[in-house]
Amino acid sequence: MSDHCIRDRDLAAVAAATPEPYYLRRREFLRLFGLGVAASAFLPLTSQAASTGFPDALNAGYKLDGVKITPEDLVTSYNNFNEWGQAKDQPKELANRGWKTRPWSIEIGGLCANPRKMDVDELIQLLGPIERRNYRHRCVEAWSMVIPWDGFPLAKLVDLAQPKGEAKYVRFASFFDSANCRAQRSNDFPWPYTEGLTIEESRHELAFLAVGLYGKPLPNQNGAPIRLVVPWKYGFKSAKSLAKIEFVAEQPKTLWNQLAPNEYGFYANVNPNVDHPRWSQKSERVIGAGFFSGKQATLMFNGYEKQVGHLYAGMDLRKNF
Amino acid sequence: MNRLARILGNRLFALSTLIGIGIWLLVVPALTGGLGANPVEKLLHLTGEIAIWMLGAVLALSPLRALFPKSRIVAALNRHRRAIGVSACIYALLHLAAHVVYEGGLDGLLRSFSKPFIWYGAAGLSILIILAVTSNQFSIRSLGGRNWKLLHRLAYIAAALLVYHQAIAGKGHWHTGRWLFFPLASLQLARITKQLFMRPARKHRATAILTTVANAR
Repeated sequence: MSDHCIRDRDLAAVAAATPEPYYLRRREFLRLFGLGVAASAFLPLTSQAASTGFPDALNAGYKLDGVKITPEDLVTSYNNFNEWGQAKDQPKELANRGWKTRPWSIEIGGLCANPRKMDVDELIQLLGPIERRNYRHRCVEAWSMVIPWDGFPLAKLVDLAQPKGEAKYVRFASFFDSANCRAQRSNDFPWPYTEGLTIEESRHELAFLAVGLYGKPLPNQNGAPIRLVVPWKYGFKSAKSLAKIEFVAEQPKTLWNQLAPNEYGFYANVNPNVDHPRWSQKSERVIGAGFFSGKQATLMFNGYEKQVGHLYAGMDLRKNF
Repeated sequence: MNRLARILGNRLFALSTLIGIGIWLLVVPALTGGLGANPVEKLLHLTGEIAIWMLGAVLALSPLRALFPKSRIVAALNRHRRAIGVSACIYALLHLAAHVVYEGGLDGLLRSFSKPFIWYGAAGLSILIILAVTSNQFSIRSLGGRNWKLLHRLAYIAAALLVYHQAIAGKGHWHTGRWLFFPLASLQLARITKQLFMRPARKHRATAILTTVANAR
């Protein structure tokens, strides 16, 4: 709820700060007008907000039967977002002390025919409609959740950008804002947070760009306003709060891989048979399962082996971890 | 200052602080749902952190005494070294218990022993247990002061093992270890430096350094 209040206020602030001719640009006007109509048609009055594309509908292909969806308050209060603290309960607190995730500019560039820089809501409009998918989420630290994400396939963005033939990888960079993000003033990490996929992985139907969870815009701590979700890879591959998506020819440097190349590989596919050098990856603790629940067995490619196994056919997964 | 020193030197004050830390950080959050989304992990981390900081506190106290021999506050705190050390061991045992619950079964527990960070932790904890068990007058008498002192220098080894254990236990945990390691190392260095300069210059310098290092504890 507070989420919506903040957004309403932000919108009012944007309106107040923007000269009228610009504020009433056609696209902007249509977006706001269209949303207003859609929202008043589907939502109770209290929850009307400038949240592009909501409400959305569950994509029946990604219902994920037989697993318990992790409660929302756990999804939004426990995660790694090193820009906002080292402990997993810190991002909820630190990412909400005045950090603005709207308006938000996102750049698509590199080796593609259609590079562009635009506001994130404009991008969401372009790539929508958004849909809901329930995805397993497995952290490299051996804990897991099941999260209902709202967003769209990454492939849609790739198609929009039209990568050139020589583009073999996609590089994702999170925001860099050392003025407002204290952690980014220190050199502990090579900021900004960067991640990468092969172009084939980025076109896979499972690769997803999330703009919301639980049917609401992403909370700041979960990577607002837009983040990557790659459910068959360890969580750190799913970069948050994206500022730039780039098509490149060489395998991009990624943050955790730079920090500890022997521990965090470029592929980082969930694999119970290849341990992290310092801890086992055979099992995982399920968040929300209870104090004495112990751990459950980790699945190959996080349970998505049938869908993604072919991407790595013939590859030595022990070497390309 | 005197009054503060008297309070700090009070045994009851020390005990209630050492137990109070556990109640405040572990029991109260556990009863009020303040442990968050992964409560066992939270307890695991908190018990470990409390234990290692208490060990750090004990190891800081003796160099502080050497550096500030006239400070009443440092002297008062030094009275509690045994209590703090034993508390460190007790919190470390709670940490072990949390680990057993976290792994949730014999399989997971045995599997955890395939990883070196567990071995560093187990070695450090074993030392803490030995030191806690021999932290009474009877042990001092039966071992003899010299031997006892030598035995209890294992605390430094334990600290090194446990800081390393913590640093390699998680994804970015080395960032916390340094806050413990560098202050402790600096204190020891300051003590050794001070003893070197305070020592009358009649001995050969190398011998002086050797004696100082040997005397440092």
